[in-house]
Amino acid sequence: MSAIEQNHANSKPVQRTAIFIVLAATGFFLPKLLGGTSVAYSTLTTIAIFAVMCYGIDIVLSYLGEVSLGHTLFWAIGGYTAANLSVKYGLNGWSTAFATVALCIVAAGFLGAVTLRTREFVFSLVTYAAAVVGYEIAFNWDAIGGSDGIVGISALKLPFGVATFSGATQEDLWPVALTLLLLTLVFIARFRRSKLGTAALMVQMNPALAASLGIDPRKVRLAVFVLSAPITGLAGWLYAYQRAYVGPDMFETYFLVLMLTAVVLIGRRILIGPLIGTAILIAQQNLLSLGGDWNKIVLGSVLALVLIFWPAGLVGLFRNFGNVGLKAKE
Amino acid sequence: MNRTINLAAALLFALAAPAMAQDIKVGTIFPLSGGAGPDGQTVTNAVKLVVDQINVKGGLLGRKLVVVSKDDESTPAVGVSRANEMIAEKADVVIEGWNSPVTLAMQPILARDGVLDITAVSKSDLILAGETNPYAIRINSSNGFDAAVIAKYVVGTLKAKKVAFLTQNDVYGNGFQTAVEAEFKKLNFSGEIVTTEKFAFKDTDFRVQLTNLKTANPDAIIVTNSSNSSGLPAMVEQYRQADVKSAFVGAVGIMLTTVFKVAGEANNGIVSADIYFWDLPPFNGIAESNAFAAAFKKAYGADPDKSAALGAAAVQVWASAVEATKSLDRKTVAEAIRGKTIKGTVFGDATFLPNGQLQPRYVVFKVVDGKNAKLEALPQN
Repeated sequence: MSAIEQNHANSKPVQRTAIFIVLAATGFFLPKLLGGTSVAYSTLTTIAIFAVMCYGIDIVLSYLGEVSLGHTLFWAIGGYTAANLSVKYGLNGWSTAFATVALCIVAAGFLGAVTLRTREFVFSLVTYAAAVVGYEIAFNWDAIGGSDGIVGISALKLPFGVATFSGATQEDLWPVALTLLLLTLVFIARFRRSKLGTAALMVQMNPALAASLGIDPRKVRLAVFVLSAPITGLAGWLYAYQRAYVGPDMFETYFLVLMLTAVVLIGRRILIGPLIGTAILIAQQNLLSLGGDWNKIVLGSVLALVLIFWPAGLVGLFRNFGNVGLKAKE
Repeated sequence: MNRTINLAAALLFALAAPAMAQDIKVGTIFPLSGGAGPDGQTVTNAVKLVVDQINVKGGLLGRKLVVVSKDDESTPAVGVSRANEMIAEKADVVIEGWNSPVTLAMQPILARDGVLDITAVSKSDLILAGETNPYAIRINSSNGFDAAVIAKYVVGTLKAKKVAFLTQNDVYGNGFQTAVEAEFKKLNFSGEIVTTEKFAFKDTDFRVQLTNLKTANPDAIIVTNSSNSSGLPAMVEQYRQADVKSAFVGAVGIMLTTVFKVAGEANNGIVSADIYFWDLPPFNGIAESNAFAAAFKKAYGADPDKSAALGAAAVQVWASAVEATKSLDRKTVAEAIRGKTIKGTVFGDATFLPNGQLQPRYVVFKVVDGKNAKLEALPQN
């Protein structure tokens, strides 16, 4: 509902583009504004990459209303594709990115087709099982890295005709991470206004209306699921270059919990929600850390509290306050 | 107003400046929470203890040492964040690594910013491959050395003719078996490998494999099992119940306190090897080791185990190299360690290979009283 309201609220393309450019330029200089230290660059690059990772699961969660527990699979596909193809075959960033997108579409197509008839709990369970299978394969198959993973991933190389971008440090990778984040934001914004986006929302919110309009819910579900995979996959692709090491830990619940919490924390169907959620979570872990066990306790409690008391996320909470304020004025 | 702020800032700076200029920062990154938390705390405690001892003697290069310890939560992604924090805090050396994937993820981050990185425990061969860190240094033994000592015991001491493997089916288990087989070739082993039984890390029921092994009746079964809190104690119990007559030879470093606690007397007679026991020779004859064991017991009320010794040795090796070179530079200090021998560590004279691997000294032992974790060192020939 809120998505549709917002679309009407800012439907001036010129104004929107201008705001976007200003935000992009500010974003580019953000690490400099925060002191230009290596920690500023690495934290912001990590936030950008993790936010893109979250946007993949976001469109499944927000528009299909389903909880995918299998998106770590696509995240790992991105990482493993980048690592294997660049280390073993010396392929450049474009090729590894292209391969990531292709493999994610194939994997999501298969998983989406298998889970087509499943809903809610069963859907979550099957996607989770897929991630477990993926983990076992990655852990035991030495040809793609085995339990030790792959080391020695070289700098990200992106040839542009005559010149070639080459980046290994956090400073170098920041523009790439930011660009990937901005492209993802544009993509998600367009998706929200697209026929598929509205159809998905309709299937979730009002299946009867969708059916009466001749929308095939299974086609919509499959399309959204397949669309979500390369987004998370490309985040994993860049993460491999940022960390220069890929291992089976990419399937860990650390990433899964981060994805789900970042989306739910702020509120579903809010364009910059996952970005802000990721930023809050990473900032807490890096700057206000309470130690491993406490971080997990706090994160788990916050997730539980938000889900129990403010299912609409923190935005829902502020909206409630807003309403109270308005009533008081009246 | 502005003047007050400036004054306050100047005062703060004046107070903080001497400490910042003088203290040498020793960073540690180990798991301090979760399942491996107690182990990581042991290593960190040992580092702190040795640093305190150095400070009591007047510090290093006339400067005081401070320890900055961080928790990698056994998660590579968290380890990377912690490594970045170490860079920001300008650590002069980082001693890290309980889990290989965490070490492998942190290595390139620390190397890129020129921070000296000493791996205390993580065992993967990739750590010393030089691809991510050309100045890598590791204190714990490598799989290659571990395999050699086990192969030598089975072929030389036990004079086994029929050997079997009970192998954990992953990089660790299979890698160890391959390395032992390679050592057999080097030793001109004339017997045969009668069977290989495999299992998964999470398995706790080994009765099928043990029945097959009983039928094959080898002289020795070489066992890899890194699940020391559940899988290995269960395996030891079932090995006893199945009444297998073959000698149970555990891979290096798997017979830990938890195994003795859970499986108790069933452990009696098992042979294995490890690189540090404070109360067994040669370590009970090394002055530094005795002094460290006494101090550790006094400070933490427990006997130091191998993990503690690895943490202590990491600091001692680094401090000696810094003292010798009068430098904190990563390359200079690393070159004074790699391929060199450093005297006066808990391991005695510590000799490093050119690739940064410490040459370990093994204690091959037999469990005499599993219930009380009593071991007996076996002569090595």
